[in-house]
Amino acid sequence: MSDTPSNKSSNPAEASATRLADDVIAVQRAPSPTRSSSAYRAFGATLKGLRTTLARTLEKPTTIQYPEEKTPVYPRFRGRHKLHRFEDSGLEKCVGCSLCAAACPAECIRVVAAENTPEHQVSAGERYAAVYEINLSRCIFCGYCEVACPFDAITMGNDYELSDYTRSDLIFTKEMLLADPIERTPLRREGE
Amino acid sequence: MPRPTPNFVTFEIDGRDVTAPEGSMLVDGAKYGDVEIPVFCYEPKLGQPVGACRMCLVEIEGIPKLQTACSTPVRDGMVVITGSQRVKQAQNAIVEFLLVNHPLDCPVCDKGGECPLQDIAYGWGAGRSRFIEPKRHFEKPLELSPLIAIDRERCILCFRCVRFSQEISEDYQLTFLERADSTYVGTHHGHPYVAPFSGNIVDLCPVGALTSSAYRFRARPWDIENAGSICTICPSQCNVTFSVRDDMKVLRVFARDNAEVDDGWLCDRGRYGFQAIHSPERITRPKVKEGGTLREVSWDSALAAAAEGLRKAGAGTAALAGGETSNEEGFLLQRLMREGLGSPHVDSRASGPIEREHARALARPELAAMVSDIDHAGAVVVVDSELQDESPILDLRVRKAIRRLGVKVIVVGGRPGALDPPADAIVRTIPGGAEAALGGLAAALGEVEPADGAPADRRAPRDSSQTPVGGLDERQHGEPARQGESVEGGIDDLSRRAGTSAESVRNAAAILRAAGPVVVLWGERLSHGARGGAGVNALLALARALGIPETEGAGLIEVPAGTNARGLREVGCLPGLGPGLADAPSAGRAATEMASALGDELSALILLGADPLRTHPDRAAWTRALDAAGFVVAFSDFPTEALTEHADVILPLESYAEREGTITHPDGRLQRLRQAIGHPGDVRPVWSVLAELSARLGVPGAEGFLTSPMVSRALFDAVPFYAGLTLEEIGGKGKRWQERSAAAAAPAAPELPAPGDLDAPPEPLEPENGDLRLGTARSLWSGRETEHSPILRFLAPGQRVELSAEDGVRLGVASGDEVTVARNGSSVRGVAALRDGLPPASVYLYEGTAEGNATELLNGEATTVRVHKAAAE
Ligand code: SF4
Ligand code: SF4
Ligand code: SF4
Ligand code: SF4
Ligand code: FES
Repeated sequence: MSDTPSNKSSNPAEASATRLADDVIAVQRAPSPTRSSSAYRAFGATLKGLRTTLARTLEKPTTIQYPEEKTPVYPRFRGRHKLHRFEDSGLEKCVGCSLCAAACPAECIRVVAAENTPEHQVSAGERYAAVYEINLSRCIFCGYCEVACPFDAITMGNDYELSDYTRSDLIFTKEMLLADPIERTPLRREGE
Repeated sequence: MPRPTPNFVTFEIDGRDVTAPEGSMLVDGAKYGDVEIPVFCYEPKLGQPVGACRMCLVEIEGIPKLQTACSTPVRDGMVVITGSQRVKQAQNAIVEFLLVNHPLDCPVCDKGGECPLQDIAYGWGAGRSRFIEPKRHFEKPLELSPLIAIDRERCILCFRCVRFSQEISEDYQLTFLERADSTYVGTHHGHPYVAPFSGNIVDLCPVGALTSSAYRFRARPWDIENAGSICTICPSQCNVTFSVRDDMKVLRVFARDNAEVDDGWLCDRGRYGFQAIHSPERITRPKVKEGGTLREVSWDSALAAAAEGLRKAGAGTAALAGGETSNEEGFLLQRLMREGLGSPHVDSRASGPIEREHARALARPELAAMVSDIDHAGAVVVVDSELQDESPILDLRVRKAIRRLGVKVIVVGGRPGALDPPADAIVRTIPGGAEAALGGLAAALGEVEPADGAPADRRAPRDSSQTPVGGLDERQHGEPARQGESVEGGIDDLSRRAGTSAESVRNAAAILRAAGPVVVLWGERLSHGARGGAGVNALLALARALGIPETEGAGLIEVPAGTNARGLREVGCLPGLGPGLADAPSAGRAATEMASALGDELSALILLGADPLRTHPDRAAWTRALDAAGFVVAFSDFPTEALTEHADVILPLESYAEREGTITHPDGRLQRLRQAIGHPGDVRPVWSVLAELSARLGVPGAEGFLTSPMVSRALFDAVPFYAGLTLEEIGGKGKRWQERSAAAAAPAAPELPAPGDLDAPPEPLEPENGDLRLGTARSLWSGRETEHSPILRFLAPGQRVELSAEDGVRLGVASGDEVTVARNGSSVRGVAALRDGLPPASVYLYEGTAEGNATELLNGEATTVRVHKAAAE
């Protein structure tokens, strides 16, 4: 343990000499305080801190008037998921392969697939997701589902407003995930 | 053929010394040293390897070229290298080659996640492909049959499915069509591949080319949990795995290899019949009849009503246990009857009583063969049973024995069956003629010299040097006292009564005499009806004549009508026999006698998963009996005619995926049923319902049964020859009780009869006025699994009236004609089918069909019926 970078000792021989046993950590102490250093600590440091405080009182407040105003997020912010459709055909991109469910460490995705028929073509492949549910009260927003998806059918969106009154309302169904969110979260602009 | 004992050889693989059985293929031998060699086409269940895929290439010192490990047997001192650069390159090349035409549409492929091609490409492939050319294309997905979808683009031409169809199930339907990279799997003329065992190819296919329509897209391997249990649909009692989703839904059933039971195969009824578990028609709440209509009630009031009605009837209660009843349920039922109600009238057999002595004799360990004895027998005799319909997995077992192990097969019975083509001899009788035929066979085996008339080439070698050790000749020389001649009338007379030729009987006897140990697979039908006792006697005489008690690896295996027939007998569900086949305090009535006594001496009836209108002979008598019964309590999973009209209390029955307990294979193997899914609706475990009902009726100790293992324990204590058995000992592969020391406690039985002790079988019925003798058969596809599983429904059979061609001509009936079959005022309709090889003046009908059930015409006696073309409606 004494070999961790926090041990500043440059001499390995010295470090090993001060090592008492494996379970004892040698603590490096600052030099014992002198009179002048004590005085500096009592007044100098306090005045330095006050300067920062006084300087801030002159600035404009940074409070954001949520929910009237929203914090913009970075484009890669991992918020509530979205399912996608092909823009041309309108078919769902998700084929119900369950790979996202396999990847999810929180086990909060449930997929039940079914077979497409010519009369009822839902997705582009042979199969489609008849049930697609994400339990957002369990999701840890890790984004693994997005990475696992071979068809870019599920992506992490930007919405972070996900509170609700009951837990079951946080189970998002396929229809909810396919629909565009009503209010969009602002994205942070370049350089912001 | 005696069971081979393996010799072990030592060879070197990747620098380690490994000891493996001699003759095993390198792929298997390598496993003894924990070395994995990838394979696609190799599957030992399919017999000889074909070396079609080349995935298993390895380097063997001294051989310049790489060798296929799946078809190279291990030899002593062999040096094998599986990790060299050369081998790696070959493996990479094969994977790349297989993927040249492979679509790699894993996300939409049903095999994804459990696909050997995925695993092997990942583990042994190069990771990239150099091919940019277009791949081959087929129309996809297509129905290979209503049960199986085929995607030919994914096929890697490994031959497994074709080999299964050609060499295991021998239906010869699947084949490779075209050549080179146009090759594809298909059937001749594109007929749907419908066969009793077709679903096995889904398990076999190493890629997603063949998928089950019932499971297609239902779940991924990580969405399901697999739970092992037993299929209780038929007496084969195959070991299965249920794939369960969300703890409540069975999504598929596949084989759980047990070489002693099923060899790793399943029939399609077992594979797809699980859908009935989730049928919306299933009864899931108790119902009580009030004012003529059935109303759903709480368990408490249902049990109160049942207990009260039964208490009133008391000793006037009768009980029928259906074939799928578990040992525990049967045990509790007979205690409820005998101790709670004081009634001895409990039966698990549909078609008449079995004598106590016979029940005990048939349970004797020395007369029992185990399923794997079929593989190593000298000869197998199949008596009065169409295995493919009645115990399908035994059909595959016998086929394997014939094809791969050279076992001789003799078929005795009236109806031409699926085993006729490969059989070595056929003793074709008239319906009900098996008793006489077996007596004749026993007598012919006793003859010292084969009589004239037996074809010389078929005659057994007389030269004692050719007699197998422990074979029959030696023993029979020792006891020449009873010979065929001593039988009244002799072999010729017996053959006449069986409706067969003495020549075919002698011919069969000659084959048996020359063969080693003989396994007799006998259909329960032999023990049915008025001549049932005589039938069993003839069977026992044959067992004696074959020297079965003294011969290792010889024995009888029953093919019963009900799945757990053996277990139910042993736990006491027979009118005269209590647990352990001990004499019951008082003899009760058998099912057939209950029918006539109901409404008279008997006033109440318990149906535990039994439907007498469907499975018991003499439907008219049972209809009358159910009408007359004052009180009927029925455990049932589906509303049937018997229930809706006659039941006073209906208690929902568990499905086999919900059950816990044990059942007994016809060869004496106790197997464990384990609960795979939760109970739907209000369904409760049957054992607990029976225990509670018993407690209400004052059966001592019934309140003490809190779990199913407690009932099992009580049952093992009550049957002397199960003594000391535990559920752990039964485990996942089952345990034959004959192999435990407690088997010594099996009840003694009188000496087996000799041919001379048999009473003469009746004269064959001489049909008058163009009537025909009636025989019955069962179809694999009749039953509730077929009717309530949407995917199997297309297979549900109608009545089929099988006639010989001459009778067809004489009656002016052609195949496909609608005909009526009538006897004494009852009649059923069916579609005529003219078949070659049927005995003349006979007709065969199906028992147990939903429409036109042959039980309508049966009454336990040999009968004749009149067949004529139905008037157009
Ligand atoms: S973001 Fe992570 S936790 Fe949430 S659903 Fe996707 S994989 Fe699961
Ligand atoms: S067969 Fe296997 S490798 Fe081929 S598409 Fe299906 S899952 Fe993928
Ligand atoms: S369909 Fe499957 S089992 Fe049959 S040859 Fe092709 S890959 Fe093999
Ligand atoms: S053979 Fe019988 S026991 Fe086996 S799967 Fe089929 S129905 Fe079930
Ligand atoms: S597994 Fe050896 S050639 Fe296919």
